[in-house]
Amino acid sequence: MNARFRSVPPSFQDRVEGAILLCLGGLMAALANSRLYWNFLNPRFSPLTLGAGVALCVCGLALILRPEPGRGTISRLLRQAALLGFLCLAATAWDQAASLAPPAGFSGPSGVSGTQTGQPVEAAPPLKPEGPRVTKGGVEYLRLNLAELYIMLDKGRTDYPARFALRAHLTRPAALGGQALLSRIAVVCCLADSLDLGFLARGLDGVQDGQWVEVYGRLEPLDAAGKKAAKTAGAGRELSLRVVNPSQRIVAEHAEVIPAPDPPFLFEFREKEPFAWQ
Amino acid sequence: MAVKPCGSVVDQASFQIFAAIATSIVLEAAPFLLLGSLLSSIIAVFAGDGAFARVAKKPLPVQIVIGLAAGLVLPTCECGIVPVARRLLKKGVPPGAAVPFMLAAPVVNPVSLAATWVAFQGDWSMVAWRVLLVVLPAASLGWVLAAGKDSDLLRPTLDMAHDCGDGCGCGHDHAPHRRLPGRLPNRLLDVLRLTGREFMDMGRFLVIGSCAAALCKVLLPQAWLAPLSANLWLAVPAMLLLAVLMSICSEADAFVAASLSMFPRPALLAFLALGPMLDLKLLPAFLTVFRRPVAWVLILVPALMVYVLCMSLGLSGVMGGPR
Repeated sequence: MNARFRSVPPSFQDRVEGAILLCLGGLMAALANSRLYWNFLNPRFSPLTLGAGVALCVCGLALILRPEPGRGTISRLLRQAALLGFLCLAATAWDQAASLAPPAGFSGPSGVSGTQTGQPVEAAPPLKPEGPRVTKGGVEYLRLNLAELYIMLDKGRTDYPARFALRAHLTRPAALGGQALLSRIAVVCCLADSLDLGFLARGLDGVQDGQWVEVYGRLEPLDAAGKKAAKTAGAGRELSLRVVNPSQRIVAEHAEVIPAPDPPFLFEFREKEPFAWQ
Repeated sequence: MAVKPCGSVVDQASFQIFAAIATSIVLEAAPFLLLGSLLSSIIAVFAGDGAFARVAKKPLPVQIVIGLAAGLVLPTCECGIVPVARRLLKKGVPPGAAVPFMLAAPVVNPVSLAATWVAFQGDWSMVAWRVLLVVLPAASLGWVLAAGKDSDLLRPTLDMAHDCGDGCGCGHDHAPHRRLPGRLPNRLLDVLRLTGREFMDMGRFLVIGSCAAALCKVLLPQAWLAPLSANLWLAVPAMLLLAVLMSICSEADAFVAASLSMFPRPALLAFLALGPMLDLKLLPAFLTVFRRPVAWVLILVPALMVYVLCMSLGLSGVMGGPR
């Protein structure tokens, strides 16, 4: 094997590795500028990814343009193969994200909105920036995202809003016997540390499994059965580690079915008003 | 990857999740690995062989303290720490300082400490315990491995065997590495090339480890977590295993640990302490960079020490039960 390596030009290995670094750096820089970046990392890291991508390109160019003679070894071949394999994997993941993402500027399908169980539904407006508070039926609700509410409770804070409005994805996991679960995926850095934060909920019987919903409601303590259900809600193989609040349930006083937010993940979490309403 | 927002895999191929997670881990860690490679290369090119001689002349306890505290001035995460430690050893930094630095720096650095403090709601005790649980194994291993030289610790089978004195680690002929002294442009070019090769060399471990972590994430049933959290004897080993398998960066793991509030605090500390010292990215790097006995010591001793210390904390009631 080494004899074969020796038959190639002495600078070949450096040039190959330079080309791989150039491709990797280019991929990172391009992804950092892509609207699909959130599929992999928290968008606040895009400058870091861009910087690293550019730096890798510079290192790659140095190896391509000013290579040094070096022996080819199995070890070098392996590291080249590993990085090439990753490039293929990343391209596949990116392609998958692109194929599933809506076109730029598309705000999602028109949602239907409804109120409480059994109420008629009506067309909901597309998601847009709104104020930190909203009034429904004469009651004022504070807007926040589900992760912020979860974190407040997890910290043992008692100053969480009595009435709040939040957007969440509704599912009815089999493990919960059809009970509604409101959840959002929260990403601190990357998908590997993402958490699927959830609350059991009631008052959402008219909403179907898999729909996005804007809930105006309040919290109520879970009973013993609810606490047991909250512990089992994370079963199964999932993208994110699912954690369901073990002590509180969301009671929906009003709800509207909405289009899926773009991006659907939560990346920002604030401790006080105005909350990161997404 | 535009995943189904609830995270369900009902309509997702497991491979797609695997690819997305592996890609995201590599993309997250790559800048830090690059930073580590750059530091390593700067040390190789600009630091003379005697640059670290003063550290080697210090008494062993002082060497260990220097190694433990170095993370405060050389902040890095575990993603890029091995190439820096390898370079420091090649440049004459004694193992008594280099090993504690390698194990402790991912936690004993401002970013990681601040993240832990924020994630645990300003609870200084969690920050202090985390530091202590990392510092103790790091110092112990620094003490144990201090007697050796770099050649006793590092594997000669690596490309480093062809190292020509500046620690290029890439299998190059020696002649080209006789640097032109004093020419800054040439030295900068050397830094760039060395950084690229070092990144390639350590990048394979990042890729392998990320793929393994993604595979675990796809295959690991989360339903196991709830029953494990109720029993300290199961919770601590479970969180140790989770720390290794999830391979989360030391600057983000505190947020994940804080969310697992159903686990007792000693188990959360086990997660926070072991992850930066041992995960699926570090494991192949240890086994390839260090001699096999040294690598196994680096793998087993921190895991055992963290397990014993966290169980002691839990059983003694110092940390209490679940939060």
